Amino acid sequence: MPVQPNALCFGDEFPASGTPCLVHVEDHGLTITFPPDRDGVESRDESLKFSELTVSAGGLDHDQLVATWVGLKGQRTLYLKSPDVIRAFRQAAPDHLSQPLERAAEQVRQARQRHRMVWSIVGGALLVVVLGLWFGSDVLVERAVDRIPVEWERKLGESTYHDFLAHQDVMKEGPAVDAVNEMIHRLTGQISENPYTFEVTVVKSDVVNAFALPGGYIVVFTGLMKKAESGEEVAGVLAHELNHVLQRHGLERIIKQLGFVAVVSIVLGNPPGLGGMMKQLGVELMTLKFGRAQETEADLTGLELLYRAKIDPSGMITFFQRLAGKDEGRVEWLSTHPMSNARAERLKTQLAGMPKQNPEPFTFEWPKVRASQGAPPSILP
Amino acid sequence: MKSEILYPGAFPMVRVELAEGEHIKAESGAMVACSPTIDIESKMEGGFLGALSRKFLTGEKFFFQTLRASRGAGEVLLAPTVPGEVVVLDLDGVNEYMVQKDGFLAGAEGVVIDSQMQSMSRGLLGGEGFFILKMSGKGMLALNSFGAIHKIELKPGQEYIVDNSHLVAWSTTTTYNIEKATSGWVASFTSGEGFVCRFRGPGVVYIQSRNPGSFGAWVRQFIPVSE
Ligand SMILES: [Zn+2]
Repeated sequence: MPVQPNALCFGDEFPASGTPCLVHVEDHGLTITFPPDRDGVESRDESLKFSELTVSAGGLDHDQLVATWVGLKGQRTLYLKSPDVIRAFRQAAPDHLSQPLERAAEQVRQARQRHRMVWSIVGGALLVVVLGLWFGSDVLVERAVDRIPVEWERKLGESTYHDFLAHQDVMKEGPAVDAVNEMIHRLTGQISENPYTFEVTVVKSDVVNAFALPGGYIVVFTGLMKKAESGEEVAGVLAHELNHVLQRHGLERIIKQLGFVAVVSIVLGNPPGLGGMMKQLGVELMTLKFGRAQETEADLTGLELLYRAKIDPSGMITFFQRLAGKDEGRVEWLSTHPMSNARAERLKTQLAGMPKQNPEPFTFEWPKVRASQGAPPSILP
Repeated sequence: MKSEILYPGAFPMVRVELAEGEHIKAESGAMVACSPTIDIESKMEGGFLGALSRKFLTGEKFFFQTLRASRGAGEVLLAPTVPGEVVVLDLDGVNEYMVQKDGFLAGAEGVVIDSQMQSMSRGLLGGEGFFILKMSGKGMLALNSFGAIHKIELKPGQEYIVDNSHLVAWSTTTTYNIEKATSGWVASFTSGEGFVCRFRGPGVVYIQSRNPGSFGAWVRQFIPVSE
């Protein structure tokens, strides 16, 4: 039966990579069996007394037991790696070896500990940074966002906006465009200290969606308008979108993702990842899924904005609920603005707490606006 | 399984003969040609996370391919991406090698590939990331290099100094220290080069005669800068 070697033996007549051998630990010392080699040299045993050996720790990770002795053919070195053999060796070794053995064991422990400690510190620090950027410390993200000038944000949004519109069927004029412009005008008139110039485009598409890019570029799909029962409902979505822009939510999301990948790329030395990611940014901007806290913030500030603009805020709530209702899967808008019952409830409570006021109606007639897009005057049965 | 290096030198190819049912693992782009009896499976060694960590941490391609002679005996031709020599080692179950991330070409089914964290200093200074591959187990292991491959044999206690970027593989019975080659630490850090490993035997160290990083820099100077 061929022996399965468990150690490497080095010596002048052996190859530099060592010769595999089988080590047995016995009471008096070691028996080393050299398996027969390809040149036809027979298997042979060599016995060693413990008294002949000196031991230390060695190898790349200092986790191998190195035994040296002077044999008939000069200096021999044995590298033992198998934990079982090392354990047996330590148990059988006489007193004169136990001290160096303990020292070797201590070296191994220290090396392992050092290795573990360094890596747990690095791993821990990495985890903290990543988690910090990803989940927790929104403070960091907010600070980073604060440093980005509005001008950059505009450029970012503008290029994505134009790229997107280049492939869309844009509605240049008509009742729908006028209606949306009126809503935006009423809403933005109530924003104090507005650093953005909002631009809005109506796109002919059955996709039920509307989005606002960083910098104030807003796109409304006719598909969303067809689903609305009144102008106030569409204005509710717009008020929500405007507040995502004003609170710079899109930017926050991007910073979070950039930060995450940036940290990973820097640590792991993979700079090409950054380039590819920047390219993806354009796509990212439109498919950006807002967080729950951001949704609530946009909802509540949106509600206040509607109120200040004297647009009936209940339209916002009914519309959100209707969108989230029967064919949720087909409403694009919900994929980037995750809806929940809690969101609608929160809005209702907030609205109930506001003093009553008489809303001012829009100048357009909503059924006509809807009809101009080829939709039936009402979606209600 | 039998393997043979064809066209030894700068543009070698490895022919591996597989008996029915045998398979080898190869670096994912390495397969050049094979018998129709060979099936190519993209297998994620060490599971998805293992493969993922290998991709990110060692820069190794996501998958190792498994080339399996599932429909009868056949042969596979393998070649590395870069011009350079190939060396075939025979792992005996005791000898283990650390292999620099681009050095792996193929391994027999008995060869175990492990991503390992290396020491902090080498990870930071080596420029190869924190992870390298550890090869253990039994069977054929083919390594490739950039340029010619040179084997340095070290007796117990014997030392040798190797430029970091020329390392391909080394046995785990060796130890090494990272040292700086140039006169200033600042120069070493800013150039990212000039670190050397002082190896200490026993064991063998495989080095490559060309430095991929320097070659890249040399090529780059001829590429016009786009405006
Ligand atoms: Zn939203």
